[in-house]
Amino acid sequence: MNPRLSRAIADHWMGWLAIVLLVIGSWIGLFVAPAERHMGDVQRIMYVHVPTAWIALLCFTCAFVAAIGSLWTGRERWDATLVAAAEAGVVLNTLLLIQGSLWGRATWGVWWDWDVRLTTSLILLLLFVGVLSLRSFAAGSERKANLTAVAAIVAYVDVPLVYFCVRWWRSLHQIQSSPATVDPAMILPLRLNAFGMLFAAAWFIVRRARLELARRRSSETALPERVRMIEVPRG
Amino acid sequence: MVENGPAGVIVGGWNFVVAAYSITAAGLILYTWSLLRRIRSQRRLERKEGKP
Repeated sequence: MNPRLSRAIADHWMGWLAIVLLVIGSWIGLFVAPAERHMGDVQRIMYVHVPTAWIALLCFTCAFVAAIGSLWTGRERWDATLVAAAEAGVVLNTLLLIQGSLWGRATWGVWWDWDVRLTTSLILLLLFVGVLSLRSFAAGSERKANLTAVAAIVAYVDVPLVYFCVRWWRSLHQIQSSPATVDPAMILPLRLNAFGMLFAAAWFIVRRARLELARRRSSETALPERVRMIEVPRG
Repeated sequence: MVENGPAGVIVGGWNFVVAAYSITAAGLILYTWSLLRRIRSQRRLERKEGKP
């Protein structure tokens, strides 16, 4: 095999696996799984909407764990993981709200409703966008890491609310299904897409965290040179 | 409404399904492209700085 090709496969196996799983899962969900009794074909949005929701919440949970690790140890790897997981979570949460809006328009007749599930999901997105924005304003790598970690922990408070709100309060959004309440033919595409989305998110987080670490090393080595450049005219 | 729950079925709606899948695919592809672009630009910077 071509060495460049084999290296590309070794470096990006999680990404390739994600593509294969998502393509197969979506194909089964779109063309093989049966139409739902009341929602008909519109329900097929579920095979992409539910996995996106699960993995978005998982990304934010990963960011939360990394935030605790960052505050506890002060290691830059935790901080890089926090940024990477928060960014992947923001991307997935944005897609989740768009998918939900399309599904809502087809079934409820509205693009948006200030329902508790929808509202807490939107707040979660805004909170983590805020975490990433706040980071870009902070100066100094240690201060930046601490500020991001504290903000991520505060933002994470919304995650259990997003998950449990449909059980705690009256909601237009349905409560969580389980394999016992879903037709067996619908479980396979749901699981394939969930694992596909999981591998995609893992690939995003690993790559983005490495990029964050590389950027930090670059800025650390570049800084003394910049300082020297500033100091030269004085001398 | 009947005693067993809502009656009837939503007919059609494939345009919403296609839109949901297309937007998801486009979003994931765009983020992957943005990530790879940032990684490549960082590698170029490292090469300029003389790192291995």
